[in-house]
Amino acid sequence: MVDIIKTVITRVLFLDFIKGLLVTLKYTLSRSITLKYPDHETWIPYERFRGEHKLHRNEDGRELCVACELCVAACPTDCITVVPMEDETGRRGINDRVAKVWEVNLVRCLYCGYCEDACPTTAVRLSRGFELACTDLDGTIREREALLTESPIPEHYEGGVVVKAKYIRKLIQIKPELWKQKDWWPAKPGRSKKR
Amino acid sequence: MVTLKVNGKEISVADGTLILDAAKEAGFVIPTFCYQAELSSLGSCRMCIIEIGGQKKLQPACITPVLQDMEISTETEQVEDARASMLEFLLSNHALDCPVCDKAGECELQDMVHKHGPRKGRFAEMRETFHVKDYPLSPVIVKNSNRCVQCMRCVRVCKEVVGRGVLGTIGRGAHQEETSFLKGELDCDHCGMCIEVCPVGCFMRRPYRYKSRPWDLNSTKTVCQYCATGCITKIEERDGEVIRSIASKDTEGFNGRMLCSRGRFGHDFLNNEERLTTPLLRVNGTLEPVSWDKALDVIKDKLKKSQPDRVGAVASARLTNEELYMLQKVMREGVGSSNVDASSRWSAGDSEAFIAATAIDGAGLSIDNCMEADTIFVVGSHISDENPVTDYMVRYLSASRRKTVMVASVRPMKLDRSAQITARHMPGRLGAFLAGVTLKLYEENKTKLSGVKGVKSLDGLSIDKLSKASGVAPGDIEAIAKKLSSSQSVSIMAGTDMIRLGDGTGGLCLLSDILKTLDKRVFVLPLLDRSNQRGAWDMGAHPNFGPGYSELKGDTGLDCGAMLEKASKGEMDLLYVIGDDILAMYPDRAFAEGAIEKVGFLVVQDIFLSDTGKVADLVLPGASFVEKTGTVTNQEGRVQPIKPLRKPLGKAREDLNIIADIGSMISKNGSFTGDITAETVMEDIKKDVPMYGDVECDEQGCRGFLIGGVARRSLKCISVGEEDTTELKENKKYPYYLVTGNHLFGSGTLTGSSSMLRKLIKEPTIEMCIEEAKSSGLTDGDMVTVESDGGNGKYRLQTRKKSSSKVVFIAENFNEGSVNRLYKIGERVPRVSVNKGA
Repeated sequence: MVDIIKTVITRVLFLDFIKGLLVTLKYTLSRSITLKYPDHETWIPYERFRGEHKLHRNEDGRELCVACELCVAACPTDCITVVPMEDETGRRGINDRVAKVWEVNLVRCLYCGYCEDACPTTAVRLSRGFELACTDLDGTIREREALLTESPIPEHYEGGVVVKAKYIRKLIQIKPELWKQKDWWPAKPGRSKKR
Repeated sequence: MVTLKVNGKEISVADGTLILDAAKEAGFVIPTFCYQAELSSLGSCRMCIIEIGGQKKLQPACITPVLQDMEISTETEQVEDARASMLEFLLSNHALDCPVCDKAGECELQDMVHKHGPRKGRFAEMRETFHVKDYPLSPVIVKNSNRCVQCMRCVRVCKEVVGRGVLGTIGRGAHQEETSFLKGELDCDHCGMCIEVCPVGCFMRRPYRYKSRPWDLNSTKTVCQYCATGCITKIEERDGEVIRSIASKDTEGFNGRMLCSRGRFGHDFLNNEERLTTPLLRVNGTLEPVSWDKALDVIKDKLKKSQPDRVGAVASARLTNEELYMLQKVMREGVGSSNVDASSRWSAGDSEAFIAATAIDGAGLSIDNCMEADTIFVVGSHISDENPVTDYMVRYLSASRRKTVMVASVRPMKLDRSAQITARHMPGRLGAFLAGVTLKLYEENKTKLSGVKGVKSLDGLSIDKLSKASGVAPGDIEAIAKKLSSSQSVSIMAGTDMIRLGDGTGGLCLLSDILKTLDKRVFVLPLLDRSNQRGAWDMGAHPNFGPGYSELKGDTGLDCGAMLEKASKGEMDLLYVIGDDILAMYPDRAFAEGAIEKVGFLVVQDIFLSDTGKVADLVLPGASFVEKTGTVTNQEGRVQPIKPLRKPLGKAREDLNIIADIGSMISKNGSFTGDITAETVMEDIKKDVPMYGDVECDEQGCRGFLIGGVARRSLKCISVGEEDTTELKENKKYPYYLVTGNHLFGSGTLTGSSSMLRKLIKEPTIEMCIEEAKSSGLTDGDMVTVESDGGNGKYRLQTRKKSSSKVVFIAENFNEGSVNRLYKIGERVPRVSVNKGA
């Protein structure tokens, strides 16, 4: 008897419907987890992420790369090409050994990071750049000049966060504002934020 | 013989064999650093230490000879430990800058450490740093001493093989640095042997420096084209650019690691941008690009209109056997003319006499076999400049086998220092000198030798007269004759000066006959300066005989000189020049220019636009030796393959195909059509030239050694002639005798197009005796004008010690200031005057 009354009340007052709506309401009112990518926000990957290659310089601004071609030898997909040359302004030896050509084919690359491991001068390191989409195949080859430009994300910046970003439509480029962080995955009690 | 056990395996080896060699024979490789087969033993690196049964301490295998019943262990734990510690010591002072070192990837230290080395070094001390910056030792050699392992190979190779001895050591022990005097720039042969033998990266090639890694290079094992020594070399390229040539232990040539400056640094001419890539036809006075069809049509047209005896071909002796064979076949069977020659520098008669005197129409003879003889007698060649690697082999083999070397030449040379007796004779008077030596031998054994053919020509001559004519002191002639008569076996190495000056072939014939009659073993080795000169003659690229020195069916043809003479009368309708530069090489430039102008139609096939090419009516682009397949025969009679590294540039084609195409156009029976490749032509050669019967062909190319006893034609050996033995007359107006030959850094158009060799020899030079120069008020480095009856030229003066007075030398192949302008036709040794000022 009691069961019948309960059922009647539930059905008359649309209680199940309200329950469902409450969930919807809760999510409507809670913080959104959808990224407003690329226009307003972007995801900064973790430090260990292996993305686009970057060539580095030392404190004096000299290229670290000595064009030893060990990255080429280590590369499992043969996607790196290095041609060394003598730098006429040299300081080491008669002239320095530097790269005349240093290019990587980002489509062939499988981002294994062997080149990074092989590099005796830590000149080549995989950055956190992952926005590699392009409209023609020429764009998949990164040359030395492009690789020597600094990555917008500093090497020691702790990633795993969403930051505010500006999408510059003219350049088809996203400019992250690293200081405007947003905790995309809020920590719950008992779950460590530490990565 | 000694019997011993190596790792339990019993072998027998000859007395005095080193343990290292015995182990190698048993199949166990002992690692070494300071050991090098050609060099004297040093035993300093201690890498080769092994265990000998019954001896507590380990012994170095590279200096310890074997003894009867020795028990040797090369792979025990103790030996391995010792090797690892030796490497640890070496690494404690090694720069370890492998990432920037050019040697990395083919470094012996790297390989050794990888195989035997310690995985960890325990030395924390500072490394020895000799200098911060690398420094140049020559335009082609760079030095970095920080990587040195003190094996002294560079010092020893420079002294014992190259014979320069310009490298030495500063300091002792780990502080020892192998370098030049005061670390200054070297004035040496720039041969780069120090680079090649260095197990680490102390010596580096300037042109290869920081260009590539060894594993990036495409390579082909081929034969160096710069002289007839025929060194096996590996030409390596990266991205289409020829980057270096190397003779390493894996090229497995008879030359080992030896190459000269030309062979090691001269191959960048292949990258020269002035290479011909398209056929050029003269239209209204200028050369304009045309298609191959058009070019061949023009030739066909011209050939049809000309009479056979008014057509001629001059080929370079640097073409392959296949091409030269094809050319003479096209000329003789297709055109119907025997006007085919393989040199513009000398006459057919002189080369024929040389062939007879040096028995080129017989079996091949290796330098190694030659060096088995008690006495080695070098005549008519400036071997140190013309055949540098032969010179190295003579030097180190004569030293290690304790043989006597005697040299008779016009000019002083490096080999003099390794020779026991040296004789300087006047140019063109080698015949008189050899007649003197022969006369001395004849006088001593008159009864035995009276039957020798040609010995009559010595009647009426006296040592004094011949000594005066040749300019060699009677004492020297007697000393050489005495040495020859006391030797059991004699090797005579005869060089190209005998063809160039046309003297001495009679004397050489007689001398070798007399020595044979005296029951001595006589080896005669020709020393030639073009890579395939011997092959060219074997193939019948000569107006007087056919393939295999066979008699011609028809009349003999004209040699280059006779063709030019005919041309100057306007009687040559077509001249086909392949790879030769007649204007730069024919010994009378003014005459050659006049004659070439009157040739009805001049076709030049070359890889560069040579002087002759510039006046040609049609220029065809050929292929260089890294762009074609074929074989070349070196001076020893060794047939070696040349293999392509890449395709001919642009529209250029392999010379064999061009020649065959021309043949197929004019042939009536279609004998030049069908599948003509180097292999099929080689099959024909083997049928036609019995000497090539032993040549074997596989994927690696054709190779083998010429066999004798089947030559169809025995050329006549002429005896000592009158003109050889008369005294040279003085000339007041032109006091000097001009001689020519190859320069160490230049031997033709190819070396002239190599930017590296142009750094070593910047301008045309004239070499002169230092005392003579002083008395004329000239000093080293002056610009001088050289004048002769034929013409004049400007040259930079270089003074030489121990040179004969009155003799000056200008190399025959400077692109600008070519020496042939000083020559007049028929004049073998021109008289010149040398005056200061430009």
